[in-house]
Amino acid sequence: MAFGFNYESSGGDIIPIVKFDARAGRFFRIDRSDGVNNPVDITTGFKAVMDFENIEVGFINFPAGSAPEFRVAPIGQPMPENPGGKFRQGIRMMLKLGKDCGGDVREIASTAKAVLGAFDSCHTEYVAGAKANPGKLPVVALETTIPIVTQGRDEKGNAVKTTNYAPVFKIASWVDRPADLVFSPKNGGDATPAPVQAASTAPASPPSTGSTQVPPPAAAASSEDDFG
Amino acid sequence: MKNPFEVHDIQHLSPSTCNLFTSSLATFVMNKCLKKTSTVGPAAYRGTAVEDGVAHGLFNLDASLADCTKVALDKFNTLASFISGEKVDKERKAIPDMVEMGLRELRGYGVPSSAQGSVSLDIEGLLVPMIGYYDFEWEQHGMLTDLKTTHALPSKISQPHARQVALYRAARGDNLSARVSYVTPKKHATYALENAREHVEALGKIGLTIQRFLALSDDPMELASFVVPDTDSFYFNDPVSRQQAFEIWGI
Repeated sequence: MAFGFNYESSGGDIIPIVKFDARAGRFFRIDRSDGVNNPVDITTGFKAVMDFENIEVGFINFPAGSAPEFRVAPIGQPMPENPGGKFRQGIRMMLKLGKDCGGDVREIASTAKAVLGAFDSCHTEYVAGAKANPGKLPVVALETTIPIVTQGRDEKGNAVKTTNYAPVFKIASWVDRPADLVFSPKNGGDATPAPVQAASTAPASPPSTGSTQVPPPAAAASSEDDFG
Repeated sequence: MKNPFEVHDIQHLSPSTCNLFTSSLATFVMNKCLKKTSTVGPAAYRGTAVEDGVAHGLFNLDASLADCTKVALDKFNTLASFISGEKVDKERKAIPDMVEMGLRELRGYGVPSSAQGSVSLDIEGLLVPMIGYYDFEWEQHGMLTDLKTTHALPSKISQPHARQVALYRAARGDNLSARVSYVTPKKHATYALENAREHVEALGKIGLTIQRFLALSDDPMELASFVVPDTDSFYFNDPVSRQQAFEIWGI
């Protein structure tokens, strides 16, 4: 197994991933079938049991078109040395998606500042609540996303604005650790590349256009509480 | 470096221009380089007319179906005032039902926050902006949609339509939900766009290909010499376009 995790129920040694696209402000589940990655938008009603107990922090490099590189360690342990170059500060964590979002165990990793801040805040809330909920993990819901506009200049010196979206999480409830959400430390805290993530940056097939019929907002069904 | 778009007097690209380039290069050269315009047929007029009727019903939620249909038919009759025939009659006959289906599909969203909004997107490396006009946006719902009329309901968004609404989304905000609403005389459906960023990238690739093609020559007739029209295609149905093709290519 590439990462040393034990998630047999989610399909061999490839750990499926979830990613938050900060430019779009959307959560995607990356489903893989027949060697093809299919992003599925799970922003609406996003909810997951997050394994903050074993969140890893450090430095991550997401090179375009090839596998990501991790230099991470469990939170609380000494931070790995910054390899420099294109490595950026980031986090990696396992989570179990709510039923409406897919229901399986996945990995999320990010170096986007807007995303790290959201996880940082949620981790603080987790630490504060963990004492009153011993042995439990938080069910984290996406409350909203907020635009973060940064201003800079392009190569010609013209003023440009960039908008990213930061997730706003809230802990909806606390649950016992799901049986399939099992964390196994990686050797040396320096994981080998994640093949699923690598493939997701280089799609091997034409993108789908959309065949899911959607009703007007008033007719949309309300989301259920996945974790009761 | 010369800007090939300036050379050929092209100020911008649009998804429809990109789609024309991919589906009939000869028509692209004829229209955009040689500036010989083709007339659009009654099907295009029907689309414009239905959109007007549906827009009337969306911005006036109390408007009756009869009122909305009248708006649509008046528009169609104006646009098609110089053409006639079986195809025109067929499209005119379909309009009332299409307006009704469009209202059934979209009135549930409420009054749009805007319609026919122009968007413009700068694509890296492309020397002209990519522009377009979206049909309806509901800012309150964080979504926009383009209304498409057709005689057979598709089961998914077509590639050209995906590129079109992906552009709108990229220009208006990546946080928007982009959709395409299809109506036929009997059915209606709205599909959510997937993989928006990839479709914008595809649009960019087509735009850059157009740019490279235009850079092959400053002479539009030389560009015409690189392509051959399929004169059986619907692009050359209208006699004027067919004659123009004959004059340009001799076939």
